[in-house]
Amino acid sequence: MPFAIQPAGATPQTVAAGAKPAASAASVEKSFSKALGDAIQKVNDAQIESDQQVTALANGQAQNLHNVMIALEKAEITLRLAVEVRDKVISAYQDIMRMQV
Amino acid sequence: MGLFTGMNISGSALTAERLRMDVISSNMANADTTRAEKVNGQWVPYRRKMVAFSTQPLSFRDQLAAAAGQGGAPDGGVRVSAIVEDDTPFKLVYDPSNPDAGPDGYVRMPNVNPLNEMVDLMSATRSYEANVTVLNANKSMLMKALQIGR
Repeated sequence: MPFAIQPAGATPQTVAAGAKPAASAASVEKSFSKALGDAIQKVNDAQIESDQQVTALANGQAQNLHNVMIALEKAEITLRLAVEVRDKVISAYQDIMRMQV
Repeated sequence: MGLFTGMNISGSALTAERLRMDVISSNMANADTTRAEKVNGQWVPYRRKMVAFSTQPLSFRDQLAAAAGQGGAPDGGVRVSAIVEDDTPFKLVYDPSNPDAGPDGYVRMPNVNPLNEMVDLMSATRSYEANVTVLNANKSMLMKALQIGR
């Protein structure tokens, strides 16, 4: 069923909906954009957190040096993850665009 | 089981070890302190302090998730639950010229043994290093995961 051949007029949304019959096309699209937004928000939160920790350290308010370093590491890892995901998305897009029609 | 659970656990251990180091510093600094507090108008020497570690209690969210049967392994962080005082008796040193000497010429000195404190210091330092190593291993694992598919 998931790999049933779609009619030629089928939009990508209906293909996505076909993989998960219970969800409608609109809700699938919304949940994807929400997931993307949430992920980017998390990356941003980590960046803000590390920024605040470094500011606290510069102001002499930081209690522990290692907490600052851990916040920096977390920010770096989440950012790298985001970059990795972006690279994947762009390469998928370019693969589609290079397709011979 | 979040992405950074391991890092948070290691972070709690680093905080705990640092506090332990602070307590050891205090013990070392006060190894000769004869006037730590006044009890009934008499000076009492410094008492050696020790930290008591305990596992971090589960957060409400973790407990709820565990009760609902959808939580993974809970956070196993560590925290210092108490700073307790050593009850061993004070050392008695004969030094009549000391302002805190009793009528018999003996001075009550803190029950701090610098040798023990040095061993504790090394232990705290090594534990800190071990936890930093765990943290770095955790990070390199996450970084390796990001290289999947390259």
